[in-house]
Amino acid sequence: MTDDIFIQKRSRTEAVVTQRKFFKKTARGKVIKVLRERYLRDDVGCGIENCSSCRDSSEGSLPYPGALNHPTYPNGHFLLPDTNVFLNQMDLFEHDKFNPPIILLQTVLEEVRHRSLPLHNRLKALTNADGKHVWIFYNEFQSETAIVREEGETPNDRNDRGIRRATQWYNSHISVARPPIRGRPTPILPTVVLLTQDVANRQKAEEAGLICASVRQYVKDMKEAGILLDVLAADGSGQIEPTRAVAGRQARYPEYLPTSALQAGIKASQLYQGYFNASAYNYLEGNVSVSAFTRPILLVGRENMNRAVQGDFVVIEIFDESEWKAPTDEVVDQDATLKNDDAEDSENEEDDEVHTKETKVVLSEKRTAEKQPTGRVVGVIKRNWRAYVCHIDSTSLTSSNTSSLSQQTVFATPVSRLLPRIRLRTRQAPSLVGQKILVTIDRWETTSRYPEGHFVRALGKAESKEAEQESLLLEFEVPYRPFGKAILDCLPKEGDKWVVPPKSDTSPEWRDRQDLRELLICSIDPPNCQDIDDALHARTLPNGNIEAGVHIADVSHFVLPDNPMDSEAASRGTTVYLVDRRIDMLPSLLGTNLCSLRPHVERLAFSAIWELTKDADIINVRFTKSVIASKAAFTYEEAQLRKDDPSMQDDLTKSIRLLNHLAQKLKAQRMAAGALNLASPEVKIHLDSSESPDPIDVEQKELRETNSLVEEFMLLANISVAKKIQETFPQTAVLRRHMPPPPTNFDKLKDLLKKKGGFNLDVSSSKALAESLDLCVRPNEPSFNTLVRIMATRCMLSAEYFCSGSVGRDTFGHYGLASPIYTHFTSPIRRYADVLVHRQLSAAIGYTPLHPSLHAKSFVERILEGVNRRHRLAQNAGRASVEFYVGLALRARREKDPKNKIIEAGYVLRVFRNGLSVFVSKLGIEGLIMFKKPIQFDAENHMITIPVPGSGQKDVSISVFDHVEVLIDVEKDKNTQRGKVKMTLTRPIDSTGL
Amino acid sequence: MATTSLSKAEKSYIQAGLLATPPQRIDGRDLFDFRTVALETGVAPLSNGSARLNIGKDPQDGGGGTGVIAATKLEVENVEEDGTDGGRLVCSVTCSPAAYPHLSPGALDDLQQDMTTILHQTLSHPSLHPANLGILPRKKAWLLNLDVVVLSDAGNVYDALFMAARAALYDTKVPRTRLVEMHSTKIAQKSWNTTDGMDVDQSAPSGLDTRQAPPAQDFDLVDYWDEGEELDGRTRWPVSITLNIVSSSYFLDGNLQEEAAVPLRILLVFSFLDVNAPTVQATRMLGSGEIQLDQIKSLLSDGQKYAWEIFSSLTAKLKDEDVRRTLKDRERFVTRQ
Repeated sequence: MTDDIFIQKRSRTEAVVTQRKFFKKTARGKVIKVLRERYLRDDVGCGIENCSSCRDSSEGSLPYPGALNHPTYPNGHFLLPDTNVFLNQMDLFEHDKFNPPIILLQTVLEEVRHRSLPLHNRLKALTNADGKHVWIFYNEFQSETAIVREEGETPNDRNDRGIRRATQWYNSHISVARPPIRGRPTPILPTVVLLTQDVANRQKAEEAGLICASVRQYVKDMKEAGILLDVLAADGSGQIEPTRAVAGRQARYPEYLPTSALQAGIKASQLYQGYFNASAYNYLEGNVSVSAFTRPILLVGRENMNRAVQGDFVVIEIFDESEWKAPTDEVVDQDATLKNDDAEDSENEEDDEVHTKETKVVLSEKRTAEKQPTGRVVGVIKRNWRAYVCHIDSTSLTSSNTSSLSQQTVFATPVSRLLPRIRLRTRQAPSLVGQKILVTIDRWETTSRYPEGHFVRALGKAESKEAEQESLLLEFEVPYRPFGKAILDCLPKEGDKWVVPPKSDTSPEWRDRQDLRELLICSIDPPNCQDIDDALHARTLPNGNIEAGVHIADVSHFVLPDNPMDSEAASRGTTVYLVDRRIDMLPSLLGTNLCSLRPHVERLAFSAIWELTKDADIINVRFTKSVIASKAAFTYEEAQLRKDDPSMQDDLTKSIRLLNHLAQKLKAQRMAAGALNLASPEVKIHLDSSESPDPIDVEQKELRETNSLVEEFMLLANISVAKKIQETFPQTAVLRRHMPPPPTNFDKLKDLLKKKGGFNLDVSSSKALAESLDLCVRPNEPSFNTLVRIMATRCMLSAEYFCSGSVGRDTFGHYGLASPIYTHFTSPIRRYADVLVHRQLSAAIGYTPLHPSLHAKSFVERILEGVNRRHRLAQNAGRASVEFYVGLALRARREKDPKNKIIEAGYVLRVFRNGLSVFVSKLGIEGLIMFKKPIQFDAENHMITIPVPGSGQKDVSISVFDHVEVLIDVEKDKNTQRGKVKMTLTRPIDSTGL
Repeated sequence: MATTSLSKAEKSYIQAGLLATPPQRIDGRDLFDFRTVALETGVAPLSNGSARLNIGKDPQDGGGGTGVIAATKLEVENVEEDGTDGGRLVCSVTCSPAAYPHLSPGALDDLQQDMTTILHQTLSHPSLHPANLGILPRKKAWLLNLDVVVLSDAGNVYDALFMAARAALYDTKVPRTRLVEMHSTKIAQKSWNTTDGMDVDQSAPSGLDTRQAPPAQDFDLVDYWDEGEELDGRTRWPVSITLNIVSSSYFLDGNLQEEAAVPLRILLVFSFLDVNAPTVQATRMLGSGEIQLDQIKSLLSDGQKYAWEIFSSLTAKLKDEDVRRTLKDRERFVTRQ
């Protein structure tokens, strides 16, 4: 439509009032004056369908009669919410049961943008959502609704006035557009309802004759009130909430400092900023890592943690050294300590039981470990609040009305131990007990011990597989929605019929590609692997050297930069593997078909081909795009058998042997350079047949020679590629590094090994560490070494992707692999960083030009930051999924044979003042054993002594690394509905009753 | 000050006219008559204060006259780096080459340098320093840049410069700032610890010790939309009066030819608290002529009288401009259509 657009130019005399001037303080402390012109128009449409007085009424999205289903407004109404309503109640507007016609003013939209960008994006999405009727009215550009700030008026008041003015205009506009016509019934005029939480604004509006309502008032009278009221954010709407408690409330937490003071403090290095980490063992403790200190800053007690929630970006003040403390050695469980706290009136009593208990815990001098810098939170820069998976704490329900539908305040206990309990008001409490639900934190007042939140939706019954599965994905923020149409449109049109076209000079697929179809290439993967992204070959060259090739799926051929599929992959970052499910980074057509290097079909690949001597010294390496046809897809086991079977003498088997030979040499070289052989508890869940998805057993992963074969070649490929792209793009190469851990991380482990085994852990370099780890052996306990390696792994930092131009050249190294440079190239189907590396390598060999975004350091940094985060979350999600299935498997085993108790051998990992943590390597689980009766705790020797009840038997001492036997049971926690692995000592002492 | 070259005949013709009884000027004015002065403030919206001034605009075609634009711009300065505690004022005058077409670029530079010097030295004098240019004691302060551009010169450019400068400074608004203070629990603790006097280890100077520094670390804008408060002492800014001396007599507001014809001009800069409390802020003698000391005394008291007239009518006009730009415009906006 090429309708004429005209702008009415203001007359010069209006300039002073139509120019919007404001000042801006820049990050560098300069003050800038900004000037905006405003042109007023007469033709801004009201958005009501078929409005007779608007110029173009056909495109309106608001129904002509308004919404007729609200009992308070029988003549129909339109909703006009103000800014705070959107800021606080976005969940309500997004609810699919809430869809009255909404007039969204430009003033409101802009204010929301200034206050919160994520909310602004949600609001924008809302305007286009199906089933919602939202019209954006540009009131600041409408000549009749535009207003000018009065002398001495605050910006807020000005905006409120603008909103009221627009409401007024709408009302008169509607009556003008629907004039009474003689002979016909008087037209019914819908009202425009100003929705605001601000009492003063409401008063002013009522004075001006406008109809207004608070959100709660409005929703209360709706038909769907029961459901919608729960979605309302806890908001101090003084009207409805009884005022009884307010007066007596006392601030429990200090107020945060104003943002500007925080910034000033940080600049002056009096305050520090960092991410808040809650302690998993003690809910009254947390820490913040700050670059200025080598050790994390300890925060002890509620007041000092000052309403920080796991992951918040906080500002802390550090106490004088005389007040520094050590972390406690005691396990303090939130569920146990706060058991009796009443959700309804916990705010009333000042010196209530909980407070005394907590103070006791915090003040207890049971802190023996070394003191750590200690501080307190004085402000929060960015909240990390999102929706959390929780259970309703059934004991917090008011017992009398377990079946009624009246509103009550209850506690929701998040699944994650790192989060505080959330208080929420709901009418559906009884029906939500025993369900997994999603809860958002709205706010945390200084007067309230717990944060307040609201119910978002129910996920299903706790421990049902679907609910647990979804809650896992939500908890680790894994995007699991199916791929949208825009993304699927980026796939090749031929779908699964796509094949490599016949070789010709004109076909774009074959341009500059090497034809490697004749090579004896095979892939080795775990069983049932569908996304095969690597394949290998090796052959002896006429000159006696060996040619070895790693062929990686050419994902970048299909995933082009900057299209919807690419951005989705970038935001997903990685494929997430759960026990029984895989959440793909790329649509499965690519991942499991077109890119997957299946046997006997032609596939596009990106190959790295080396010429190696017999001793695996690299003579040269080249990279090329290629077409391959894999000859076989082996599992690790198959490949191993083939290799070991002397009767097999075909070329494929020979090439596997050749590869294996090289891999051993490569590994030896790597180990000599000081690569670490680390371990993490990995177990494998056997899933039963398709009929019952229940796991039947747990076993530890077995490692074969062929695992290491594949691994060595992948490492070789990654290192070679890293060198190449770093040379070509020194500023923006996508690399991966593993920083050497600060030696202090090992202090505890060193001390332990020294005292408990007489082993000397040398952490001066990775080589020294590797060698000293090798020496930590107990002759008759083969798993002891693994245990030490697991503990050493926990002391390390995690590896991360980074942009080569962003950090110093000397920090590129990969500590664990002892390689000076490293990247990820070999799994582009399931890791986004690899896709970027493919693009850079492809540009480095002159195959394609590099997309401009990959020349921008800031872009690469931003993407990699996201990928790092996703990677971490994906690992945690996978681990949590395994844990859940281990629990299920254990329970299944118990149920099958209730008499047969599960007793496993384990090691003591850590001792606490009132308990110990035991690691059962066979099941890969770690459990806490707590003692109710007093025990002796010797922090110096990492030992506890348990008095044996009854006749003067000798006390039993247990220390770290001791071999114990535990009885494992799965227990359903009464309060949280959490399937908890419960361990009880059986040897050296039966801890039942202790 | 040969901005216009004049033949000897022309010079003597003009001088003879001025010394005749009754004196005759080429445009028919009385000796002490000013041409029309036109003033508008707020002409540059992005500046913090601005004014356009014209002396002697032709009422028929709106052209001619001495045209000057003055504007102020506030900048935040770090006191430690290059600023001055409590703020500072820097003036600069630029002459448009179109105003002086016959001057070579070098001569033009000299001329604007002269003007800059007079303006800057007079206005940045401590007696006129506005109190509200400081932001954060010993840390941050405003730098007030006053830039004046001479667009055209039809004589009496110095009076025009000072009037425009006064108008722009009068119009200047300083954004309101608020100090952001660090809470001082730690500081209190520290001093408490040290009064103890027992702990020797603590007497070493600590990097965290902030007792010497002011508690405020940074500042913030109070209101982003507000232009701010008026510059302190805005009524004090001086005006100048140029007396063109022809032997025993003198005249005001000379045009270019007259200025070229007189051997000596005296520039007197006055600031007033009220009519009876004048301060001489500066004097300058321009030109090659000579003058007796006793003559200066009477010139000074005459100059004071004329300066007050200019000063008070300028103040009235500035107040009027203020009203025009706030109330009247707002009313017009409300009653539009």
